[in-house]
Amino acid sequence: MKKSLKLFYIYASLYFKMVFQQRLGIVLFTLGKIIRFLFLFLMIFLVFSKTRLVKGFSLNQMIIFYLTFNIIDSTAQLLFREVYRFRSQVVSGSFDLILLKPHHPFLRILVGGVDFLDLFLLIPYIVLTIYYILQLPNLSLLLTASYFLLIINSLIIATAFHIMVLALAILTTEVDHTIMIYRDMTALGRFPVEIYKEPVRAIFTFLIPVGIMMNFPAKILFNLLSWQFILFSIAISSLSLLFSFKLWDIALKKYQSWGG
Amino acid sequence: MITVKNLTKVYKTTVKGKNFISDIFARKYKETIAVKNISFEVRESELVGLIGPNGAGKTTTLKILSGILYPTSGTCKVLGMTPFDKKPEFLKQISFIMGQRNQLFWDLPALDTFYLNKEIYDVDDKQFKQVVKELSDLLNCENLLDKPVKTLSLGERMKMELIAGLIHNPKIIFFDEPTIGLDIFSQEVIRDFIKNYQKHYRASIILTSHYMEDVKRLAKRLIVINKGRILYDGSQAEIVKKYSNEKYVTVILERQVEQKVLALISKPIVYNFPRVVFKIDKSEIPTVVKLITDNLSFSDLTIEEEPIEEIIKTLFRGQ
Repeated sequence: MKKSLKLFYIYASLYFKMVFQQRLGIVLFTLGKIIRFLFLFLMIFLVFSKTRLVKGFSLNQMIIFYLTFNIIDSTAQLLFREVYRFRSQVVSGSFDLILLKPHHPFLRILVGGVDFLDLFLLIPYIVLTIYYILQLPNLSLLLTASYFLLIINSLIIATAFHIMVLALAILTTEVDHTIMIYRDMTALGRFPVEIYKEPVRAIFTFLIPVGIMMNFPAKILFNLLSWQFILFSIAISSLSLLFSFKLWDIALKKYQSWGG
Repeated sequence: MITVKNLTKVYKTTVKGKNFISDIFARKYKETIAVKNISFEVRESELVGLIGPNGAGKTTTLKILSGILYPTSGTCKVLGMTPFDKKPEFLKQISFIMGQRNQLFWDLPALDTFYLNKEIYDVDDKQFKQVVKELSDLLNCENLLDKPVKTLSLGERMKMELIAGLIHNPKIIFFDEPTIGLDIFSQEVIRDFIKNYQKHYRASIILTSHYMEDVKRLAKRLIVINKGRILYDGSQAEIVKKYSNEKYVTVILERQVEQKVLALISKPIVYNFPRVVFKIDKSEIPTVVKLITDNLSFSDLTIEEEPIEEIIKTLFRGQ
């Protein structure tokens, strides 16, 4: 474990060194993300200037939904940026050389390209979230702890999904479209799934766990989630992770090492 | 060190159907046999040349032996372990250096990759410094270590790849076409390096190359493979003895002669005054030499074995 953490740190430092060489790209990329965040953040205020509640949620709660989404989404991007580059490694055959290293390949292809730009953005998200959470009435230690637990649970689902993308990349050499579908789907969880009509709401809660991933942590904070749903979400994340590992094993056995 | 028994690898690829619907619901597959039922052993400190044309199954064999690919059937043990299990203690003792792939970080100096490998393979500081010094001295490339990889030439990059792949002092090395695309000078450097490295570190090496010169210079033992099957497994000297029935007789003439005079001896395969080359059956050598001395005025005469390339070509044609 200690060695894995050390290698994780070295990969992250090397990736930072490489990214730092493209300074203009960093500025534009970060600027784009900040603008998108602020635009939607202001939109929430705009909507709530006309009404006090949206589907039963207050302004404060809606902001927490949005910020929680951003924390989960940015952490997933921060950790799993390397997945976006995996297709080229499979197609060129350089994945072969990763498989030959005496460490788990996920250290390189899953978490080997930590995106520090997202870390830079994550800090204000966390600060804002703490600010709005502290303004919630009836806040308790248990609810706050459950909130963190369900955020970790959401990150497990995100990990499972990214592992599935890696496995599919080996089986089909396809990454870009799968990851875009994931991004588009999870983006639907920026706000509570209650704003969608049935059956879309049920689909995005039970079939595609966007609701579980992006909404459940905030809901537990507002005390709107029963313990059965908490267990259900933990079961979903565990099963997703197990399934992703299984799919990865199958993919490795079917790997054909393209490119010569 | 390496034991391979009845190893087979079949690649399964999809075949494009008539239309999109049939591609989804009635997908067809094509099976390509890359390696078929091969068996061989490699001993400690042995350097084996694995040769064959494109698609013969050389690289697939190496990929199975290193654990990259899962075999369809058969068994292989490397250092007593099954490669596909990918145990760290196995991966720490092998290296796979490919002429067409690189592990170096493109935007960073090679030294950064060396440091990364030092940590990955748990190489201590002293050994790391010593190995980098020794290898960069052998390759004469100390000045390249801190240059970004993207600024290096292909030959220079290959030198860095060699160091990156050998930092952990592997017991078994798989070289897959290490000289591909290099100019003749760089090829020579890489060949000498492999030879010296093997002599110094006593590693077991399997080498594939399309350049016969690499194999001729480095490997005493050859495994000739074609269409996934082993055609020959033995020493270089033995392949010449076993499969070559002809010798090359080269004569340097003192004065030009007509083709019909040469035809009295045998039809030459090359006639470019003053050099004439005859390809002669071994049993006819004494007769031909007598005819040459009787009919031609020459300053030099040499009799050589058929080049190994020709023997191997004959072997492939005869398969």
